[in-house]
Parts: sequence; C-alpha cells; structure tokens
Amino acid sequence: MSRKDDPFAQEGRSGLVGWGRDHGRVVREAMHHISARLATSLIVWLLVGIALALPAGLYLLQLNLADVGSDWDGRPGLSVYFKVDTPEAELRALAQQLRAEPQVQEVEETSSTQALAAFHAHTGLSDALELLEENPLPASLRAMLVSGATVPDLERLAAIAGKASGVQEVVVEKTWLERVSDITTVVSRLSGVLAVLFGVGALLVTATSVRLAIEARLEELKVQTLVGATERQLRRPFLYFGAIYGAGGALVALMLLSMTLLVVETPLSRLAGSYGATLEFTGFDPAFLLVMLCTGAGLGVAGALVAARQRLHDLEVL
Amino acid sequence: MGHIEMHGVTKRFSSGQEALKEVDVSFEAGSMCFLTGHSGAGKSTFLKLLLRLDTPTRGQILVNGKNVTNLKKSRLPFYRRNIGAVFQDHHLLAGRSVFDNVAVPLRVIGMRERDVGRRVRAALSRVSLLEKERLLPAHLSTGEQQRVGIARAVVNRPKILLADEPTGNLDPELSRDIMALFEQFNQVGTTVIVASHDRELIEGMGKRIIELSGGRVVRDRLLESEVLLDESADLMGSDVA
Ligand SMILES: Nc1ncnc2c1ncn2[C@@H]1O[C@H](COP(=O)(O)OP(=O)(O)OP(=O)(O)O)[C@@H](O)[C@H]1O
Ligand SMILES: [Mg+2]
Repeated sequence: MSRKDDPFAQEGRSGLVGWGRDHGRVVREAMHHISARLATSLIVWLLVGIALALPAGLYLLQLNLADVGSDWDGRPGLSVYFKVDTPEAELRALAQQLRAEPQVQEVEETSSTQALAAFHAHTGLSDALELLEENPLPASLRAMLVSGATVPDLERLAAIAGKASGVQEVVVEKTWLERVSDITTVVSRLSGVLAVLFGVGALLVTATSVRLAIEARLEELKVQTLVGATERQLRRPFLYFGAIYGAGGALVALMLLSMTLLVVETPLSRLAGSYGATLEFTGFDPAFLLVMLCTGAGLGVAGALVAARQRLHDLEVL
Repeated sequence: MGHIEMHGVTKRFSSGQEALKEVDVSFEAGSMCFLTGHSGAGKSTFLKLLLRLDTPTRGQILVNGKNVTNLKKSRLPFYRRNIGAVFQDHHLLAGRSVFDNVAVPLRVIGMRERDVGRRVRAALSRVSLLEKERLLPAHLSTGEQQRVGIARAVVNRPKILLADEPTGNLDPELSRDIMALFEQFNQVGTTVIVASHDRELIEGMGKRIIELSGGRVVRDRLLESEVLLDESADLMGSDVA
C-alpha cells in the first residue's frame, strides 16, 4: 500500500478551495432543486413578487408626486385685496416689498381703476357700475412664487402681506401645493408601512418554502451531520434557495410594476397635461432595479435563515 | 490515533432513564472490540456518546487524550469527520445512487470531484460493489445496502469505525462477511467498535467483547483472559432480545 493510499494519511480537511467547491456544488444543487419544482417555485416567486411590488409601486408613486408638486404649472401664490380707497402708493409699496423676497417670482398689481376696466371688458356690465358713484372694486395684487417654494414660505409671505397697511384680505392659493404635499406624505407613510408589512410577508413566504425544502431533504441533512457537515454547510443550499426565491420574486415585482406603468402611462400623462405639466415618470431606473433585486435576495436569505434556525439548529440525527 | 477512554460515563435521559452507569473502559488505538448486551442495555447510547450525537450526563470521554465531552458545537463536525459510523438501518439516501451515497463524506469535506471518484471506487471495491455504483439503494439486496453503508463509513479513512447492529437484518453467512470486512479495516489500523447481540457470531471472532447490562459494564473479555466484573452478570448476559 503506497503512502498516498494509506488509510490514515489524510485528516478531514476543509480549506478555502474546498469551501469554494462546496459553494459551487451547492448552487448547482439549488438550481436543480428549484427547476425540478418549477410549479412551486413559480408560485413562490409570484407571492414574493406581489409582496414586493406593492410597496415599491407606492414608493415610485410618492417619488413622482413630489416631482409633480415642484413642477406644478399653476404655481402657488397669494392674492392681496386692499380696502376700497386705499392710496395706490400703498399698493405699490407692498408690491415692492414682495418683489424683494427671493421666493417671489413676480407680482402683478391691479389698481381699482384697472379692476374696473377689466370688469367692463369682461362683462360688459358697465351700466350697472355706472349707477354707483364710486368705484366699488378694490385694488389688488397677486404674487406668484418661484417653483420649489414650500407651504411655510407661502405662509410667511401671507403674514407679511397681512400686516401691510390698507390690506383687507389675503387669499393664499396653496390648496394644490398643500394637497399634493399631503398626498405625498400619506403615500410615503403608506409605502413605508406596507414595505415593512409586505417585507415580513415576503420573508415568511420564503421561510415557509425553504422550510418545506428542508423537510424534503431531512434524511440527507441527517446523514451529512453524521459524517461531519457543519451547520453552515447544512444551511448553505437553503440560503441559496432563499436568495433565488427572493431575487426571482423581485424580478416578478419589477415586471408587475412595468406592466402597471404601461397601463397607467397614457391616462396619467393626459391628466398631467390637462394641468399643464409634462409627466415624466422617474425612479424606474437601473439603481432602482438593483435595489429591488438586492432587497428581494436579502429578504429571501433572511427568510431562509429563519427557517434554517428553526429546523437545523438542533437536528435530531438518530 | 484512535485511542479512546471513558471515565465514569453516565447517561441519564430527561425521562429519568439511566442508559449508562459509571462506565470505565478504554480502547487501544487500532484495536477491535464488540459491544454486547440485552436489548436496552445501552449499546446504542454508548456509540452515540462516542459519536457525540449526545453528551454524557457525567464523566469524560477522551479520544487521543482529548476530552470530547466538552467539545464546542462548532468543533463537533470536525471531530465526527474522524469517525465512520454504520447502522442497522444503514441510513442510505433513497434518491441517490450508490456512488453518490458513498461520496457524501468526501463532498462534505470539499474534496475535488476527481479525487472523490477515486476514493469512492476504492471504497466500493473493498466491499465488492464496484459494478453497482450507478444503482439506487432500493435496487440492492439488504446485504449489499449494508455494504454501501460500510463503504460510506470508511471512504474518508476514519481513525475510528463504529457500527451499531450492522448485521441485524442479515443471515449468518452474510453477517460473517460483514464482520470480516470490519476485521479488514481494523487490520489497517482503524479502531473498530461493533455493537451486536449476535453472541454466536462475535464469540467466533476472537476479539475483545464488552458486555453491558442495565447500562453497566458487566463483563470485559480481552481475548483469552476473561475479566468477570460481576458474578451475577453471567445470568443476565444471556440474550434477552
Ligand atoms: N432518547 C432517549 N430518551 C429516553 N430514553 C432513551 C433514549 N434513548 C435510549 N433510551 C433508553 O436507554 C436505554 C438504552 O437504550 P439503547 O438504545 O442504548 O439500548 P441498546 O442496548 O442499543 O438496545 P437494543 O439492543 O435494543 O438496540 C433504553 O432503556 C432506552 O429506552
Ligand atoms: Mg441499539
């Protein structure tokens, strides 16, 4: 018997090369296992996909709503109405003051005479007003804010205008901005909550399927334990299962999202167009795809770890 | 390599059952020994403790002078890689070929596939099953299945070979063949411990026999010189099972 074939020449070894080989073998096995149970795997992918698509879709929606808010053509502004008979100088003074504010893009002044002229032009009801001795229309000015102005900016400017002399009323046209910002907050919170809920859901789905895979291979796992497989080795194929289930689920989610975008794109841009905005759907970019895939794979691996911990930790071998 | 000592080993299960009581034995490296005793005497428990599938309640087990009772969980697999184990219900993987079954221990240690092939075939040829490597275990006879189990146990050239009733389902002739195999492995230096209650079979092997009864060692027969530890043991020693 040569030295090489001596039964006791070799210790159980497990170097880096062996480790790499083990990974390679395990990936092949995981692929094989999944392709052998394609129907089950498809269901898992679909479940994980739906669970990921919902919060991801809401995230995209919120991202684009924030965009709409800043792009808004009918930009927010405020209208200031003066008391009747306020001298024109005061109108001019306030206009001057507002123009000096960086958030204000332009200020439109309308003296009471101009208002009357506009009234004539628009309505042709000159006779009615001529019955009155005085011009009943107040002077007013309208300040338009720059894009990117926020609701607090608007409120601050309104306060300034409110304190100016001769001012009767300040009307803040913030409704749209506020509405969009409210909606964005709601959607953002919702997508946060859903991300957690559905993320846990995706994790449990993979954990359950990995658990089933473990049950199916229990006999093999026991034999492997018996001949000296480490717990890491035992769970390794299942972590790959988890990663494949999760990443596959993320792919499904991305497909669902892009299909949804296709369906809503036309009506959405029509809607946006009617408000003078051009809709350009943002956020569905390579970085987003990568984050989705990594999140999916990560959740899958986490699910697999949960399952492995439950089932493999104290495996009864005999 | 393969020296084993047990000092005051006691195993009490949570049910209160004491499967082993104050067992003191030692096995020289490269020796061969049979473990016998009535059903429930503690033979399987004895082997399980050696494989560290369970821990003794009290006492120490030293392998090559190293206390393996307090081995860390993370080190256990590396300890087990030095031990081959054979069972009555051989624990073969039904869905894997004979070759793949025998290859399990080698793949666990990350051996190159080329070397795996060489080693598996060497082991299969030792148990005369070389031409059946592609078959599934279900397509083999009981004796052949047991031999696959033995090939798997020795394929990684363990220092210690443990067998629990390896001939339980086999007829006398096949049983003798299997025992002869164990003897061969022992001859190349492996420490071999075989649990069996087939009195006739093991008496004929001319090896050391340790008899357990109610969890105690009641007889330790080292070849010619018999050491009777307990006079009453002779009566209990008859095969109850
Ligand atoms: N996990 C366990 N929990 C509780 N009691 C156990 C456990 N395993 C074994 N026992 C008990 O320990 C005693 C010894 O069992 P063991 O399996 O070692 O006997 P044995 O000598 O191998 O018997 P047999 O020849 O029937 O295989 C028995 O009484 C058994 O019921
Ligand atoms: Mg037993």
